[in-house]
Amino acid sequence: MGLSIEQHEIACRACGAKIIFEPMHRSVRCPYCDSPSVIDRPATSDRPDPVFIVGFSVDRHEATRRMRQFVARKKLAPPGLRGRAAERVSGVYLPTYLYSAVASSTYSAKIGEDYYVTEVSRDSKGRTSVKRRRKTEYYQLRGPHHSYVGDVVVTASKGIPNNEIEAIEPFDLGALRRFSSPLVSGWISEEPSLTREECLQLARRESESKIRNILRLFMPGDSVHGLEGHTALGKESFDLVLLPVWVFAIRYREDRPPIRLLVNGQTGKTWGEIPVSWGKVAIVAGVILGLLAVPVILGLIAGLFR
Amino acid sequence: MKSPDLSCGRCESPLEVEDLRCPVCRRSAPIVAPLDNPEPSVEILRCDGCGAAVSYDVRARAPKCAFCGSQTRVEAPEDPIEQTELFLPFTVNRTAAEGAYQRWLGGLGWFRPGDLLAATTLESVKPLWWVGWVFDSDATVSWAADSNAGAGQADWAPHAGQTEIQYRNTVVSASRGLRDDETDHLVSSYDIQSARGEPEGGGEEAVIERFDVQRSAARRQVMAMIERVAEHRLKNGKIPGSRFRNLHVSVILRRLVRRRYAFPSYVLAYRYKTELHRIVLSGQDETRILGSAPYSTARILLAVVGGVLALAALLTAVLTLIG
Repeated sequence: MGLSIEQHEIACRACGAKIIFEPMHRSVRCPYCDSPSVIDRPATSDRPDPVFIVGFSVDRHEATRRMRQFVARKKLAPPGLRGRAAERVSGVYLPTYLYSAVASSTYSAKIGEDYYVTEVSRDSKGRTSVKRRRKTEYYQLRGPHHSYVGDVVVTASKGIPNNEIEAIEPFDLGALRRFSSPLVSGWISEEPSLTREECLQLARRESESKIRNILRLFMPGDSVHGLEGHTALGKESFDLVLLPVWVFAIRYREDRPPIRLLVNGQTGKTWGEIPVSWGKVAIVAGVILGLLAVPVILGLIAGLFR
Repeated sequence: MKSPDLSCGRCESPLEVEDLRCPVCRRSAPIVAPLDNPEPSVEILRCDGCGAAVSYDVRARAPKCAFCGSQTRVEAPEDPIEQTELFLPFTVNRTAAEGAYQRWLGGLGWFRPGDLLAATTLESVKPLWWVGWVFDSDATVSWAADSNAGAGQADWAPHAGQTEIQYRNTVVSASRGLRDDETDHLVSSYDIQSARGEPEGGGEEAVIERFDVQRSAARRQVMAMIERVAEHRLKNGKIPGSRFRNLHVSVILRRLVRRRYAFPSYVLAYRYKTELHRIVLSGQDETRILGSAPYSTARILLAVVGGVLALAALLTAVLTLIG
């Protein structure tokens, strides 16, 4: 069997065996002597060297426990899923980019300031009533907003999209270490499979979304309407960071692809898209309908005997 | 450890050697460029103890040999405990401090017990260097707030703007021994320019308080102070109006320079009858004192009764005049 264009062959320095490593992996384990090796490739613009790494703090046993707990909480999961052992478990150093920038924004919004008036009214019988009514005065507000945007993490992997990373965030970036090969030794360390430009656009979109939320909270007044902002991001920094993720593949039916579950390798936060068992949904719906129908049936029976 | 050449490329704040990212703007700290190595190469990590290949171990959070258990040292995130860099010297000696205490006690006013000076015993006089951060920075502060300026029917109208604020020799206390109100009272009595590398004055029994916060916590405290100072300055002249609410600020800091100082002071404990009281005195200005002292309940009651009687007499006189 020949090598594909991007596959490489290296010799294990421990036992001399030939090992084929995938282009998207930075580390590899010899299948014969189990020696871990870390591949040091020359950096390119789309495959730069990692700058930082967050080490695994959750081991395989703890990750498995968290995954099982997560699945057990999903009451409508297919019956075969609970208790099913994972087909594949991998501790992966996932490539992500850490983005920071200076965000310079201008905004405009209609700000409502509330005040209260006391209204005295008299009804047809001559009785008076006093009511306190809230009224609002509106002002147009324009202004600048400057801030640093930091800690924006976006995926650099085609395998695990950004929404899945967001689902197991946050990572404690206070535990960042400068990258060094020993830290990934013996673990799967993936190379970026998205281009730097794709990731940069993703990070900019996420930052702009963050700024929109910040601007919403920045507004004075009792109510805010029509908030519009324009943000320019400058002095950007963009560093490749390896984050620890446990990836579980669970197959609960032979005719279906396995389900993927992710466990944050630092905090243990778990996420996965668990399918719904329509049989269980039907049973729950039946029980609810049955409970709702009981008073009706009782009413009908009572009517028959009257 | 601070390196004079190491500063953030974005906000120009000096960085500590151990910083991986700028603590102000979170840009990654500069690193030494790796050597050019055009060919892929394979690195195998060998245990220094037994020569076996090593892997990263989750429990040890470091590469560890599975055979002999040896651990390879790797660069760990540094968050050291802060250490004092500069000391302000004592310019007030112990005798002057005791004299200042006597004058302070004697000048507290009529509402204190008449025998305060006579029935008081000075229990201890402790020279103490309390610790804090002194920082300089330039900041662009964007703000938005409601104020009474320009308000119509409602009490409030919204305002927004941006201003430049300079922080020079701003002090943030890190003291665990002195309360914030005590350090705030003393701060303006110090001559920051008189700082030196070694403690001076205070005698042999002088105590130097230690910073007991880590660098990351220290930075958070300084950042919180920066926002408080910004809000204070905005309310005092930058935002139109005299009443404010919903003040929001966003601060872009540049050139944040933070130094760790020890400030000289005397902590005096005195006993009045059975009660123990404490006063704090600046080690550079004997007129700067803050402390607690007992009140005379009898004298306060006398003043209240006298006031009520005087008011009643005044009211009677007015009614008589009208009648």
